[in-house]
Amino acid sequence: MLTTYLFFGLALLAVLGALGLIIFKHPMNGAMSFVVTLISLAGLYALLSAKLIFAIQLIVYAGAIMSLIVFIIMFLNIQEKDLPLDPNRWFYVAGGIIVVGPIAGLLINISRTLPATEVTVFDDGFGSVKEVGQLLFTQWLLPFEIVSILLLVALVGAVVLAGKRGVN
Amino acid sequence: MHDFMAILPLVATGAGAILVMLAAAFESFKKEGISILGIGLFAFAFFVQLTVESGAPITPYGSVFNGMLVTSTFTKGAGLIILACGFFSAIASQTYFTQNEGFVLEYYCMMLFAACGMLLMTMAAELITVFIALEIMSLAIYTLIASDRRSVLRSEAVLKYLMLGAFAGAFFVMGSVFIYAGAKSTKFADIGQVVAETGFLTNPALVGGSLLILVAFLFKAAAFPFHAWVVDVYDGAPVPVTGFMATAVKTAVFAVFANFLVINGQLQEGWVNYLFYISVLTMFVGNLIAIGQNSLKRMLAASGIVHTGYLIIALVAVNSEGFTGSTIIFYLAAYAASTLGIFAALSYLGGEGEKRNSFEDFNGLAKVRPYSAACIAIFLLSMAGIPPTAGFMGKFYIIAGAFQGGYISLGVLGIFSSILSMWYYLRLIIAMYFREPEEDFEVAEMTLAPLGTFVLALSVFAISFIPVVI
Repeated sequence: MLTTYLFFGLALLAVLGALGLIIFKHPMNGAMSFVVTLISLAGLYALLSAKLIFAIQLIVYAGAIMSLIVFIIMFLNIQEKDLPLDPNRWFYVAGGIIVVGPIAGLLINISRTLPATEVTVFDDGFGSVKEVGQLLFTQWLLPFEIVSILLLVALVGAVVLAGKRGVN
Repeated sequence: MHDFMAILPLVATGAGAILVMLAAAFESFKKEGISILGIGLFAFAFFVQLTVESGAPITPYGSVFNGMLVTSTFTKGAGLIILACGFFSAIASQTYFTQNEGFVLEYYCMMLFAACGMLLMTMAAELITVFIALEIMSLAIYTLIASDRRSVLRSEAVLKYLMLGAFAGAFFVMGSVFIYAGAKSTKFADIGQVVAETGFLTNPALVGGSLLILVAFLFKAAAFPFHAWVVDVYDGAPVPVTGFMATAVKTAVFAVFANFLVINGQLQEGWVNYLFYISVLTMFVGNLIAIGQNSLKRMLAASGIVHTGYLIIALVAVNSEGFTGSTIIFYLAAYAASTLGIFAALSYLGGEGEKRNSFEDFNGLAKVRPYSAACIAIFLLSMAGIPPTAGFMGKFYIIAGAFQGGYISLGVLGIFSSILSMWYYLRLIIAMYFREPEEDFEVAEMTLAPLGTFVLALSVFAISFIPVVI
């Protein structure tokens, strides 16, 4: 019973944080609101007994990536007067909701049709570093390997876009 | 050994990309050297792909990779087109950057990485692998578009593409989640089995998941409701990159799209009606957009939407039993040869800073540069579908396939759209041949693009002789 309440609480927080991200005007407020989403997602992973993902979510996403984002926002030193005037903002938000709403409704209806199985108790190893590692290096070896290419592309791309201008 | 041979093109492209990346770090490598290296590596990878045996689908390293890669004649054909597109785009880039600014030494490295991602996409038989391959391709393409950061036009194009591309990527991931919920697996083979056992329409999670994945594919292929970005992004990218995006990216997306649809006949049947309307709307909306354009690049971008429509006709008529995808591959090859040819020609005729871009700028080209004008005319006639070019044969196979599959109205609408598209293709031919020249079309010396254009013009005819079983 407690897990159900926890689930709904965390899910609500996650959605509210995401809403804040798009509604707050100042980027710093948006970033702080996004932290709420990331942390409540970590909580949801913990409820699913995915220990490793829970830790990674907190350390990498809520920790490292968020501090980079906040660092960049502070580095640019955005003041209230730097923000663009956006009088039609609510109009766009409403338009977005009208477009995305039916899709969300469809997806909610679909997830209702999924069989409601009782909570399965996994053995102690589920979601631990060892189990995830074994799965990753046996069944999911190919995605694991090609992610390295993806990271390399991202790295080189970032260097190209942020590097010196106009070589040769 | 067989397994290694099957994935060797992938390895060659990836290793080539890393080689160029390392070479770009050395002071002694200049623009010319790195261009030759990039072109050579694409040619090498093309020949490696050519040596791969075609035949029944095999799963290279089935136990190690857990059956997540599948190669077949279809993937070989798609791989050949992708690598050939890379080769000719690299040739066009070499010329383009003698007259235009914004070259970075990593340019060819990103091109090879993009090709590597595309090859992976064609071979992948698992949704997460497809997603990672899609992102490898997209990230490399974003960088290629924006490599000239001083240009506002490029920045605008890349921001639009990045934002909408990320949105499409999110749709894909969400779709994978729902498919996993419905089928308990993300592997194509397992999904096919679940559909065969329990049916498709009785499994809402599978239906919703495949809808979201279809949205992502239609976005990347620039089909009707998701076509709005194409014109601006293609217009904002450098000419050779536009050519690469219009051909290679489309090939990779349609290869994986077809692989996904033929997972199971029921899955395809479930979506055929919607794809029918999407293909009709894509063709006619694309034509309407293309007719209104005054810039050559924007017209070609919009005509790319129309060609997406024809390819969706091929997907509608595709038969999931004994799937070979030969009509799709043939059409993609014919379309790639003519589109790349035009973009290669634009690379050397465009002048400094792409100053020649509208139809009027090419007035009287035939009197000043008759060979280039003849090549461009051949490409345009091929795209419009005039015999004896490859474009005609491609349309013929696709429309014949639609008739065979019982989609008479779709075939007729395809022919109608093809007639409509003559309007904007012939407009350029008229400008080139029946107007007086206003300038002398100076071009940079010592370049490869004219040669590439000539080879592509020949291959437009050569491709039409390749036999295809519908």
